Amino acid sequence: MDIADLKEILRILEEQDITEFELEQDGVKLRVCRASAVAPVRPLVGLPPDLAAAPLPVAPPAAPGGAAPPGAASEAEPAANGTIVKSPIVGTFYRAADPNSQPFVAVGDRVKVGQVLCIIEAMKLMNEIEAEIAGEVVKVHVENGQAVQYGDPLFTVRPA
Amino acid sequence: MFKKVLIANRGEIALRVIWACKELGLKTVAVYSEADADGLHVRFADEAVCIGPPRNIDSYLNIPAIISAAEITGADAIHPGYGFLSESGYLAEICEACSIKFIGPSPQAIRLMGDKSRAKKAMAKAGVPVVPGSQGVLEDEQKAVRVAKEVGFPVILKASAGGGGRGMRVVREAAEVAAAFRAAQAEAQAAFGVPDVYIEKYVQNPRHIEIQVMADTRGNVVHLGERECSVQRRHQKILEEAPSPAISDKLRRRMGRTAVEAAASVQYVNAGTIEFLLDQDGSYYFMEMNTRIQVEHGVTELVTGRDLVKEQIHVAAGEPLSFSQREISIHGHAIECRINAEDPVTFVPSPGTIRHYFQPGGPGVRVDTFAHEGCEISPYYDSMIGKLMAYGRTRPEAIARMRRCLEVMVVEGIRTNIPLHLRILDDADFAAGRIDTGFMERFLPKKKAAASP
Repeated sequence: MDIADLKEILRILEEQDITEFELEQDGVKLRVCRASAVAPVRPLVGLPPDLAAAPLPVAPPAAPGGAAPPGAASEAEPAANGTIVKSPIVGTFYRAADPNSQPFVAVGDRVKVGQVLCIIEAMKLMNEIEAEIAGEVVKVHVENGQAVQYGDPLFTVRPA
Repeated sequence: MFKKVLIANRGEIALRVIWACKELGLKTVAVYSEADADGLHVRFADEAVCIGPPRNIDSYLNIPAIISAAEITGADAIHPGYGFLSESGYLAEICEACSIKFIGPSPQAIRLMGDKSRAKKAMAKAGVPVVPGSQGVLEDEQKAVRVAKEVGFPVILKASAGGGGRGMRVVREAAEVAAAFRAAQAEAQAAFGVPDVYIEKYVQNPRHIEIQVMADTRGNVVHLGERECSVQRRHQKILEEAPSPAISDKLRRRMGRTAVEAAASVQYVNAGTIEFLLDQDGSYYFMEMNTRIQVEHGVTELVTGRDLVKEQIHVAAGEPLSFSQREISIHGHAIECRINAEDPVTFVPSPGTIRHYFQPGGPGVRVDTFAHEGCEISPYYDSMIGKLMAYGRTRPEAIARMRRCLEVMVVEGIRTNIPLHLRILDDADFAAGRIDTGFMERFLPKKKAAASP
């Protein structure tokens, strides 16, 4: 791939208003992310600019992402076709890291223990919710941007 | 005025706040732990958010969960009730930062009054009578004797690092001070590792008299009279009344003025209570200030005809007080019995399911409760299941009315202290108004003697 190819790719991306593009060819991997002309679904107000761009902070100890507090009942509940992952905190559910990113997981994805499933925003902090079991995501229970309370079902994961 | 109030509490006080909000046309949000999913506050609020598992620390004391619940519901005010986070300067501060109105005083006032030592200093500075004593630790025996003579006997020597009644010695004569001082130091060193001792005037079996105050953001501060709260066991109030049989109109005016000055000196806003020790000779001393609405606020409401919780909301919304001092008058007499889920003799808590429930009604009766038939009284929270109040034109009428209420109140499936309250009302000293903070200590052995064959 030479500079002419690259320029051509970028021109096409802009023309078509494509926000994310990945290409692997001849040992070269190219990934392009563009700011979309469309306004983001929900602006990240309150976060200083460097934080908004930086990797998301891990959930604070008071509300560990995905890990059940010691002594409390497990938040995962067996369901007919898998285990229900429940919200450990109160907040707003987001499927992706930001409005321009792909969702962390989709139905059919295989997840590992510790893998980030979603973000729940509480008090302007983005809390990463991690999978406690490995398996296949069979259902997503909430919509992007929906308010969730403690114990609300988020995903059903079929252990595998 | 607010559109939506989140109540950061549970049980009867959560309902109390919901009643006030409903009357004011405000929307309500209840928060609850998993143990309270069937709670009445959850059912009667317009919206409800589960904030965590049963333990207090994970739910009703969980500030991020509560603030987050306010955010997702769009609540613009939080009422903290009593207990839990009601005296958390931290919650008040976070509310400010998140543009949510905390229905209560400022974080500064909460923190100042929450630190008992700082509060006492601030009150002394404002000219409020405090228990006289040494300014800090006594260096030696000679200083102890000198201060004791200044303060006047009897005095009590207390360990600075102490508590639980240890490192305390009552001294009645100057000749005993030196020996008592040495002994108190030794005890303090042994028990707390620090021999520091200070002196206070010993107020023997005082009455616990508290004054309700209400202040707005315009600098208006009003008192609504006193509550007599001397009937206590291990510093837990059991029964309260308003007015106090020991307080004359003149003393009420004096103590009320003192309470108003105390609140004004710290720029206090919203509801508060100043607690005093009232000595047998009529002198009174500041003990502490509670910067929240209190459990026993209802007896004040009954004798003044005012709604204190609604007033809290009005004040928090920036409105002036709806009454002046001149417009406050005390009529009649109100008594409150705290109904607890506990054994009436051993005081052991009695959680469980209420199988049958009937609460009294009729003239002059007010019941603030979350209890009902089928209700689960869980072991996670305190044992008070409701407050039974009786109002009469006179104290004897209030007592007779309360007795009638206790006799017909039915709470089956758990044990309650209803039998204890009946015995207290029958006590000759109580009926005569001869009560002080030593009352329960004297009463309980009498009760046992009567109970044994």
